[in-house]
Amino acid sequence: MIGKLILTDLMKIRRKGIWFLAVLGPFGVVALQMVNYGLRKDWFIQQDTYSWFYYIRNVNAFTPFALVLGIVILTSFMASIENETNSWKQIIALPVSKWSVYLSKYTTLTILLVFATCLLTLFSVCFGIFLGLEGEVLFLDLIKYSFYTFLASMPILGLQLWISIISQNQGIPITFGVIGVILTYMAYFLPDWMIWKWPSLENQWDEPLINACFGLAVGLAIYVFGMLDFIRRDVK
Amino acid sequence: MFSLLQSEWFKLSKSNIIYILLAGPLVGLLIGLTGNESIFPDEVNQWTGALLMMNLTYALLFLPLITGVLAATICRYEHQAGGWKQLLSLPVTRGKVFVSKYMLLMLLILAIQVLYLGSLLVVGLIHGYTDAFPMEIVWKSIIGGWVATLPLVALQLWMSLLFKSFAGSFAVNVIFTLPTILAINSERFGPYYPWAQPVFMMNVGGDTSSTFFIPWEQLLMVVGGSFLLFFIGGFIYFQRKAV
Repeated sequence: MIGKLILTDLMKIRRKGIWFLAVLGPFGVVALQMVNYGLRKDWFIQQDTYSWFYYIRNVNAFTPFALVLGIVILTSFMASIENETNSWKQIIALPVSKWSVYLSKYTTLTILLVFATCLLTLFSVCFGIFLGLEGEVLFLDLIKYSFYTFLASMPILGLQLWISIISQNQGIPITFGVIGVILTYMAYFLPDWMIWKWPSLENQWDEPLINACFGLAVGLAIYVFGMLDFIRRDVK
Repeated sequence: MFSLLQSEWFKLSKSNIIYILLAGPLVGLLIGLTGNESIFPDEVNQWTGALLMMNLTYALLFLPLITGVLAATICRYEHQAGGWKQLLSLPVTRGKVFVSKYMLLMLLILAIQVLYLGSLLVVGLIHGYTDAFPMEIVWKSIIGGWVATLPLVALQLWMSLLFKSFAGSFAVNVIFTLPTILAINSERFGPYYPWAQPVFMMNVGGDTSSTFFIPWEQLLMVVGGSFLLFFIGGFIYFQRKAV
């Protein structure tokens, strides 16, 4: 049942530019580095930072930001498919349970974001090799920084999906998302417990894995909370 | 024309627009209270220092992004259940509908700017600033930032007419807003990028040697030029749009 629901969700997002956004996001993050390295290549060499280690951290400076924006756009989009045409009733009237409808939306979003994360890893490897950075290619670091960031942003995914689905007016989740983006941008100033800080992989122990683990755990908790609330709610 | 504006106002008062407007001062407070303004030397006026620090995030990200949300919000009623048909079957021209929506949007942006000024005052009161409040902030930063959003609002109104969903027009907005982070660091490209103009216009201090000082003529040319382009583009699109 859940497989078929995911298939219908994937079908609904066809030819709407969603996959294009999932490609554009990671490409944009790497493109910012293309500009960065294109303009300041000599400066990096001079500073002795023309290496994979610093390159990965430079890429990762923009990843949280692009990822949170992507989450805001995609969650609002997934919810607006049903909101716009008032077809929540139709879906719920099918012989499917409400939790599986919610889970299917969540899974579809996860598929899109994992796809984008894989592309980010791929694009950054390609551009890094093109640059001819010093030293060995740090594949493990690259994968770590891409996927840990994704895991650490799962609480935001759960929260945005819940707000988008329960809001009639999509202006509310998007405004909330904009505030979240600003918080992500200011991650450096935020206390460790705020979920918007987590995608930056910064914490007082200097251990990115903590952010990823907490992200996964809290993300799933928020998901369950959102799903239970959705089950309780009346659809319009 | 006046009655069109009035009807837009009625539609607005029933939506949740007030929460969106309040996001402006909320973001201002967040940055103002958590940020670190001691990066500026002592001789810089405390109010100016706080504003410069707050502007870095507010003008760079928040203001351009929120224009899109507001534009999509005021087109929401029409996109639902054939609202365009109803509105355009009234004895009004499409041009007037477009212009009145645009004027309403600019009013909302002005309200956000004034609320942002309010948040600056609150930040100052909480921190207990003793310096004299420079009135230049109001004219240059608040009004300047407002003028800088003229082209952004025009493009976002166009996109909101084009896309039914919030996510669509917001995605376009994000695609143009993100490169600003790099654009403002580039002396060659930055001054010509319309989405970077709020940062430049809201900058205060008037120190000609600072990197952010851009001549007014150039700003007005970029803002004015892109405004005409986006406004006329949206206007023509709306004339031809099938409802």
